[in-house]
Order: sequence, then C-alpha cells, then structure tokens
Amino acid sequence: MTTTDADTLQDRWAMAPDRAVFWSRLINIAALFGLIMVLAGSLHLQFGAGEQPCPLCIVQRSGMIGLAVGPIMNLLWGLSPRHYALSILAAVVGAAGSTRQILLHIADPNDPGYGPTVLGWHLYTWALVTFVIAIIGCSVLIMWQAPFRAGDRGVLSSPGRARPLVVGLVVWLSLMVVVWMFVDLGVIGVSVLPECGLGECPDDPADTNSLGNLGGWIAVLSVGVVAAVVAWLLERRWRARSAV
Amino acid sequence: MFLMFVVWLVVFIGIFRGWRWTPLLALANLAYTLLMLRIHMTDPIPLNF
Repeated sequence: MTTTDADTLQDRWAMAPDRAVFWSRLINIAALFGLIMVLAGSLHLQFGAGEQPCPLCIVQRSGMIGLAVGPIMNLLWGLSPRHYALSILAAVVGAAGSTRQILLHIADPNDPGYGPTVLGWHLYTWALVTFVIAIIGCSVLIMWQAPFRAGDRGVLSSPGRARPLVVGLVVWLSLMVVVWMFVDLGVIGVSVLPECGLGECPDDPADTNSLGNLGGWIAVLSVGVVAAVVAWLLERRWRARSAV
Repeated sequence: MFLMFVVWLVVFIGIFRGWRWTPLLALANLAYTLLMLRIHMTDPIPLNF
C-alpha cells in the first residue's frame, strides 16, 4: 500500500490523527475480529453440531475472551502496554488449558482425541496455536513504542467511523458471552448452573439437539446483526448528544 | 464455571463505562479460570476430557 493510499484510508475512516495509532488500531480491530470469528466458530459448533463444551473447552473459551480484553481496552481506552500485557496473561491461562488437553490425549497412543478436527488438528490444538500467536503478536506490539507516545485516548473520545465499528464488535462479543451464559449454560446444556453450581462442569457433557449447519450459522450471525443495530443506536445517541 | 462468563460480562460493561478497576477484575477472573483448571486437574477423571 502506498503512502497516498494509507492517507486516504486514514482520512476516510477518520480513525486516528496519528499514523502509528491508526495502524495500531487497525491491527487491534483485526485481532478482535479474528477472536470473534474463533468464538463464533465454537458457538456454531455448539448450536449447529450440538457439541457441548467440556470443562477444559470452557477454560480455553474463558482464556480466549480474556485475550480480547486487551484489544478492546486499546480501542476504547487508548493504546497502552498494560492492555497488551493483560492479553498475554490471558493467553498464558488459555494455553495452560489447551496444553493440558493436548497432553491428556497424547498420553494414550490409541486415544482418537476429543471432538471434531479442522484441517487434521483438534480444536484444542488450534486454540494453543492461537494463544502462542497472540503471545508473540502482543510482545512485538509492546516493542513498537510509537503508538504509545501519541497519547491516544481511544475511539470513545474521538468520533469517527471507527467508533461504531469497534463498538459493534465489542457488543457482538458481549452478546456471545450472554448467549453462552443464558442459553448454553442455562437452558440447552441441561444447565451448568444447577448441575455444577459455581464449580466445575461434567467431564463429558451430553450432546444436545442441534439447529443444523445452516441454523447454527444463522444463530451466530443473528447475534452479529443485533450487535450492529445496538452499535448504530449508540452511535446515533452519542452524535445527538454531541450536537446539542 | 458459569461465574467466569458472568465476570467477563461485567468486565466488558466496565470497559464501556470506563471503570478503572476493570483490569484488576479481568486479572481476578483469569486467576479464577486457572483455579478451575487446577480443580479439574486434580479430579479423578478418565484420561480424555
């Protein structure tokens, strides 16, 4: 991409006055979108294929959600090494869960592994790959000092097209957490709360009736559509307030 | 394990509302996640889950 292209993109999206902040925000948005896609995939697996998550899967999901907290804080509060550090810690916790699961399954050579595979690898293996990439990525971004020196205060305090995009992504992620809590953990999964209380869950949760492949994707995407509507409404409200 | 997701939701709300103690809550939730993992590791479970 040439300098002129980058300038145009920066102006068009009104994302940041500073070039380093602009690129850093773009990387954070891409990371957040990637994490949402990963979590949407697991949500689809649950509702589309009827695969209930095992306790170790839930630990890894929690690590994955924690991983998203760093980019969200960077985008909404402003870029800071502390936020990247939080993501690294979340990645370490998630990696502990996925490493545990990998070790359990390679202990017995005849063990076929748990759950479905993607491109020949189980989901917990992909989760470990994701966590390791996140640790490396965050470490590299911490070493890039220019965005931190710019004194960025986040998109909430700087109106522009980036704001509804970021808010939409954060609401999408939040709604997925809500869906897990109240639909999966509450109703479909024969309910974790009554079954496990605040402690751990059954080791081999029973599969449930699924919505099917298409139904699963519609369920996941409809959460995204609701998030987009919420972001649009919030943006409209903020603009109306700033106009007064 | 249900509590982990409740706390993550509070963390997201905290980030939106600008509550400065939110990073601490996120750290506490990560510690709680680790605790859940530790409890799971000491369980007499079959070698699969």
